[in-house]
Amino acid sequence: MNNLFSTGRSSTRRAFLAAGATGITATAGCTGSARQDADVVRIGVLEDRSGGFALNGTSKWQTSVLAIEELNEAGGILGKEIELFDPDPQSDNQRYQELTRRLIQREEVDALWAGYSSAARETIRPLINQYEQLYFYTTQYEGGVCDSTIFPVGATARQQLGAVVPHLIEEYGPRIYTIAADYNFGQISGDWVRILAEENGAEVIGEEFIPLDVSQFGSTINRIQEADPDFVMSMLVGQNHTSFYNQRASAGLDIPIGSSTTMAQGYEHRRLNPPALADMYVGVNYMEEVDTEASNAFVERFYDRWPDAPYLNQEAQNNYFSIHMYAEAAERAGTTDQEAVIEELEKGVEIEAPEGTIELDGDTHHMNHHMRIGHADSNHDLSFGNEQYIGAGFLQEVGCSLPDDPETTQYLPAEVYDL
Amino acid sequence: MSLRTVLDGPNTRGTSDRFWAAFGLAVVALLGYPLVASTYAVANAALFLLYAILGLSLCVIWGYCGILSFGQVAFFGIGGYTFGIVGINLSTTTGTALGLLTGVGVATLFAFVLGYFMFYGGVRDVYVTIMTLVVALVVHTFMGQTAGSEWAIGEAALGGFDGMTNIPNLMLGGIELIDTAFYYVVLLVLLGTYLGLRALVNSDFGRAMVAVREDEERTELLGYDTKRIKLLVFTLGGALAGLSGVLYASWGNYMNPAVFGITFAALPVVWVSVGGRDSLLGAIGATYAIEWFSQQLSITGSEYALVVVGGLLLVTILWLPKGVAPAVADWLSEKQSSPSIRGHEEVAD
Amino acid sequence: MIYDTLNLLFQFLDSFAFIVLATVGLAVIFGMMGIINLAHGEFILVGAYGTTLSYGAGLPLALAMGVGVLATTVFGLVLERTVMRRLYHRPLDSMVATWGLSLVTVQLARIGFGNTLSQVGTPLGSISYGAFSYSAYRVVLAGIAVAVLVSLYWLFMYTEFGTQARATMEDEPTARSMGVDTGRIYLGTFGLGSALAGLTGALYAPTITMTPELGASFLVEAFVTVVVGGSSVLVGTSLAGGFLGVVNATFTNLAGTFIGQVAMLLAAILAIRLLPEGITGLIDSWRAKRAEGGQ
Repeated sequence: MNNLFSTGRSSTRRAFLAAGATGITATAGCTGSARQDADVVRIGVLEDRSGGFALNGTSKWQTSVLAIEELNEAGGILGKEIELFDPDPQSDNQRYQELTRRLIQREEVDALWAGYSSAARETIRPLINQYEQLYFYTTQYEGGVCDSTIFPVGATARQQLGAVVPHLIEEYGPRIYTIAADYNFGQISGDWVRILAEENGAEVIGEEFIPLDVSQFGSTINRIQEADPDFVMSMLVGQNHTSFYNQRASAGLDIPIGSSTTMAQGYEHRRLNPPALADMYVGVNYMEEVDTEASNAFVERFYDRWPDAPYLNQEAQNNYFSIHMYAEAAERAGTTDQEAVIEELEKGVEIEAPEGTIELDGDTHHMNHHMRIGHADSNHDLSFGNEQYIGAGFLQEVGCSLPDDPETTQYLPAEVYDL
Repeated sequence: MSLRTVLDGPNTRGTSDRFWAAFGLAVVALLGYPLVASTYAVANAALFLLYAILGLSLCVIWGYCGILSFGQVAFFGIGGYTFGIVGINLSTTTGTALGLLTGVGVATLFAFVLGYFMFYGGVRDVYVTIMTLVVALVVHTFMGQTAGSEWAIGEAALGGFDGMTNIPNLMLGGIELIDTAFYYVVLLVLLGTYLGLRALVNSDFGRAMVAVREDEERTELLGYDTKRIKLLVFTLGGALAGLSGVLYASWGNYMNPAVFGITFAALPVVWVSVGGRDSLLGAIGATYAIEWFSQQLSITGSEYALVVVGGLLLVTILWLPKGVAPAVADWLSEKQSSPSIRGHEEVAD
Repeated sequence: MIYDTLNLLFQFLDSFAFIVLATVGLAVIFGMMGIINLAHGEFILVGAYGTTLSYGAGLPLALAMGVGVLATTVFGLVLERTVMRRLYHRPLDSMVATWGLSLVTVQLARIGFGNTLSQVGTPLGSISYGAFSYSAYRVVLAGIAVAVLVSLYWLFMYTEFGTQARATMEDEPTARSMGVDTGRIYLGTFGLGSALAGLTGALYAPTITMTPELGASFLVEAFVTVVVGGSSVLVGTSLAGGFLGVVNATFTNLAGTFIGQVAMLLAAILAIRLLPEGITGLIDSWRAKRAEGGQ
């Protein structure tokens, strides 16, 4: 299918027509709108298809299109066709603000999916709060967002690390060295590693936070060798940091690595030459290699629709199930009115996702996920083990209960735990 | 008209009655825009107009004094962050007004210190360009790692790579400036900046600035303190960029380190060189036109959006080396043998 | 103790190689022709992609690197003929034009080859010492960096092309009136700069992540070094590379990657402030003084 102008409407014919009309003059000309038209459900999807995060964002966009096409084929939501608005934010935070404003104010979307990075989420949060926009953030993230109109449905650091850290302590020993990206996500993830280490009688013997634009890791590797830990926890983020794994292999650093960020998002096990990721353990709620009936069927549908796609990542699965989950909630509410849909979601929804059957926790707006440990061997062949069903425990601990107590906060582990 | 004698001069192109008539019409059109456009379109236009102030800040130092700063965004970002820090801690009318003042003040001071360091240290030409870029990148690296709670000033957390949230709107007389009200404030600030800069570049000091641009050594031999002139102009540029940053922070209620990054740093340079570096109105028009155009392209979702933007830049620089506005002005004056209006992009939306 | 020294030494070699190789192509083009090439990172991208793609097609790594260099050279020569020659002596315009070029190249690479390529593994294994080990390939890179500097010295000082190139840089009209085909010299110099950028891409392809944005990770070091080095390509680049490499390696080793990076950038700012003409300027004035003293 011609991917030049990616509109993602349901029928190919319409997509073709729309592609013709998406020219600059067309968009410039029509300042009036079709908002009165209540016969459609309007969904906004902002996922990066160019710029630095395109590697992760493209398949999120692709599964969103797939989910919407499936829903439309089955008669839409409440019998109405779903119309998709999907500009490309180009991995640019300023662009995110402009486009979110457009989708909220001008297109008046009924629900919004947006952003790969936490920074993108924070960029648009003032607008989300101001307009009380129903918003799904689907990336795995540091956790703690407790916000009345936001549904962060990806796995949190607590869920992912909670799956992988105790397992590695048991398997390899109690001395942990943490390397993480030097920003909010990495620092909070580092805090979680320390909390989990303490809970499991282990110890973080070294910690290094690395700026996102660093791509040379010689000294980091030296320091790890000097500390000689039982295993390394890596929460490195982005393409510069991915270089670490190649450099680690060529320097002969063969200490096992645990992670919450590799493989499931940027499919490093496919891109890097083995044995760069030998003995890598990652906590995930989904990867396309997960071998269940639901997952295999999903993978097949995905590649039928996008035969050229390189990978179907964890976040793409999250977009997919959350769009279906939204449809389910709207059907039950009998309307796409955002407040009513949120109320319906808060009653708790169970959904059959490709990762398994999972529930939304109405109090915290987070999902209970099937967390697995994915392990890459020296040929980058994957195996999965230790499946656990883990909820958003941290937010329950801090007493986030959005239906009774609306707020727009992000809780940090440092506020609760003694670090 | 006595005002015209202040605003007109050899350093600005549009000086005819016809120009001023067209200019007046354009201003009226911009003033009337919110009456016909949607809230979204008005808020969006306000963003482009506030970017235009950033464009002007570079135009005056590069186009009229020959200093190409690749780091105007550093002052922009510092202005915005400072406004955020003050505004979050004191979110009252006086608080945000104080935020505006300190935001512009800190940006100005930063520009002054950097300018003093460079110009009195003999740093010149392309080295100034790269030094300013490096300064922006240092701030970028620094701000990126301010995620921890130790990086909070009062209530305001700097927020690292994820940025600073909850920045309040500017307030004026107890009214929160959003959407249309904000648009009018930005428009008036831009208009005031433009007219002020016109008066400046056509003043005696402005002529000295242009002399520095044309031949610094000769100007110095004529008895001018060129270092001082450059420092003053650079500081003024920093102040304007800071002002633009304050407005930006109020527009989106958010700042993040991406404003110090090389992608954003390149934008003012692009606006000004496309518009015509010695044309204030050209800078405004080009800022508006380029930002509007690249936004439209990203709305289409086409993967060719960035190819088109980049290609246009390349073509403009190759074919219109002086920029669009001077080329249009030349063309008009050839056609009518009198200089006239140019840069009407800003009324196109 | 000895291991710590070795760590520091390897770290220095690593920083030095990275800085010199990131810079040298840019330095030739800037130093000789006054073009500020903001698309420098994308020249490196072409080299890296050329290498990775031809390796993927089955060529041995060394040959694949040759293909990467060749591809970048051709890319550079075509650009020189179509775009760059209009920008000579317009350094600031060249910056905007090459920024546009950079946007176009990155996005076309994405459209053409996707968001990433399958990666070449790093060759040559590792060197072990005590509890430590270091990638042997990265030591080789340092050797190549020195070799590149030496060959450039030979090229500019002892060949016909080098003499003519220096003459053209010094005074173009005179060189032309003396019969130097300055157009060809410009073409050759630009081709050389492109080839060097391509070489950098080819050499680093097995160590960094293949994405269309990979060039950006070289850009800051390259610009900082060019400015600290000043107008003389060779002396400037090697001394500035050495100086910044020492600062970066020492601070990274002592206090971590973040401090290492900030220290390097601050050192660069200080260096520019103290030596506004770059290290080259310092050497020139030192030479001038010595010459005066000798008279």
